[in-house]
Amino acid sequence: MAADVTRLVDVENGRISRRIFIEREIYEQELERIFARCWLFLCHECQIPRPGDFFSTYMGEDPVLVVRDTQGQLGAFLNVCRHRGNRLCRADTGNAATFTCAYHGWSYRNDGRLVGVPFIKEAYYGALERERWGLIPVAQLESYKGLVFATFDPDAPPLREYLGEMTWYLDAFFDRQEGGIEVVGGLHKWVMPCNWKLPAENFAGDGYHVTWSHLSAIRAGFGGDFRVGADPTGTALSPGNGHCVMTVGADMIADPPAPEILAYEEKIFPEIVKRLGPRAGRLKPVAGTVFPNFSMLKPTSRTFRVWHPRGPDKTEVWAWIYVDKAAPPEVKEANRLAGIRVFGPAGVFEQDDMDNWQACTQTGRGVVARRYPLNYEMGLGHERWDDDLKASASDYRFSESNHRQFYQRWAQLMAAEKWAEIKS
Amino acid sequence: MRDELLRDVEQFLYREARLLDERRFHEWLELFTDDVRYWMAGRSTRYPRSSKAITILDPERRQEADLAIEDELAVLDETKATLGGRIARLDTGMAWGEDPPSRTRHIITNIEVEAGDTASELKVYANFLVYRTRAETEQDFYVGARQDVLRRVDGAWKIARRKLVLDQNVLLPKNVSVFF
Repeated sequence: MAADVTRLVDVENGRISRRIFIEREIYEQELERIFARCWLFLCHECQIPRPGDFFSTYMGEDPVLVVRDTQGQLGAFLNVCRHRGNRLCRADTGNAATFTCAYHGWSYRNDGRLVGVPFIKEAYYGALERERWGLIPVAQLESYKGLVFATFDPDAPPLREYLGEMTWYLDAFFDRQEGGIEVVGGLHKWVMPCNWKLPAENFAGDGYHVTWSHLSAIRAGFGGDFRVGADPTGTALSPGNGHCVMTVGADMIADPPAPEILAYEEKIFPEIVKRLGPRAGRLKPVAGTVFPNFSMLKPTSRTFRVWHPRGPDKTEVWAWIYVDKAAPPEVKEANRLAGIRVFGPAGVFEQDDMDNWQACTQTGRGVVARRYPLNYEMGLGHERWDDDLKASASDYRFSESNHRQFYQRWAQLMAAEKWAEIKS
Repeated sequence: MRDELLRDVEQFLYREARLLDERRFHEWLELFTDDVRYWMAGRSTRYPRSSKAITILDPERRQEADLAIEDELAVLDETKATLGGRIARLDTGMAWGEDPPSRTRHIITNIEVEAGDTASELKVYANFLVYRTRAETEQDFYVGARQDVLRRVDGAWKIARRKLVLDQNVLLPKNVSVFF
């Protein structure tokens, strides 16, 4: 019996119940109706360029092995042996033709096929149908500009339809120049004691917190020209389906304050406008979330990340640093350093976020605290559809309009039995 | 290595640890040379060459090293200026992850001293266990190894290079807001 969550999310009045951030029953329903249903980000293609390359990740709490098979085809499978459910691959990344389970030695090819079962003749009398016991594949897998996504729901709409107009905004982060992006080697992985929706909504639309949460880092010089006065331009945009982007005006600097990066950005700006069209001359996307848990950032630090859910009050963050593939080496290096120093577990911006999200989650354990809804009313009635931006846009740069779009989508998915009931 | 020198280095490292635990960060910063690189690598999980859990398809793509490479992602990759920036940030009174501050205890052990690349330098190996507790019940353990280059400058030791290895793969602390 699914929980009726529709009364917990009141976007008309900007009220959201704290129960959705703390209750186990709702969390379990999220695993089914959000994470086993939506398109989730797996990795960037540049991480697994050659046949046999693999990358271990998760979709929700399910361990998933992303592999480029011997023929060069991308695939993704539950990283689970079909025999006793042991975790098959234990390494984060590597290259393999076959994977062998540590328990009884069942082995699988990098295309998921079960190819080895010890004592199959003697112990199974040749009756085991190997072809039926391959690794469980994802239902659909597609890439968008090198970003690999998958879903476990065969009824989910195709990736491009799911992303909708968000594709243009993804281009503004990841396809600004020929060749798109590549990632710096390695990942930041760490555990945050908070509900996964807090970081997801933060990247989706919380420009508001920057001027207070991160003022210490800005004052200490890590934000550079990041303006915190009353005048800057910008708008919170939702192009639909719960996806959200924060933008600043095109005249604003939206980059890490390293001289190499600033000079490079100034130089390539006209090329970007030419490549992406007039929208790129009107605004600069700076942060965003692809519903539900893939977020990205451009100023201060070029990072994208997945918020893996780990229970109602725990999130495992996997964060990458990305650079334009075409950028010169000194720009890539400057982005690597800015990325490490400002975001990530030791980042001078990010370390304060974790502390706030932890407390926002944990106070919800109190039954009395839980009776009182959270306030998401900022900018109610000051948002409208913008035909040029092809998105719902807030009038002022700080607004909770994106939060409301995010949670409206969340409530739709949580209430629906299947994709056919969900409006796109 | 002379015993007197070993004791000298040990006392230097213990004093450094005490400065950190007493949150005397400006004095701590003065222990570094101006050209220091202060780098903390993370680790990942890889199959060793001998593993029979996989068969390799492409030997050129074998990745055994579980330690981050120096031009890849790291937990920290700092200069003296950026360490100074981190301390300046704590001084603003708005560094919320450290307000109220962490209480730390730096345990420095397994100290080994070797000759350095120049007559004025030493290579110093040590292990660290940093216990952090904060607010009511928060607690974290940061455990790993340090490789320092100590340089004699005007009759005193300075840290000219610090390489830190943090042993966790997925970091269990919510943040790394303390110094090592």
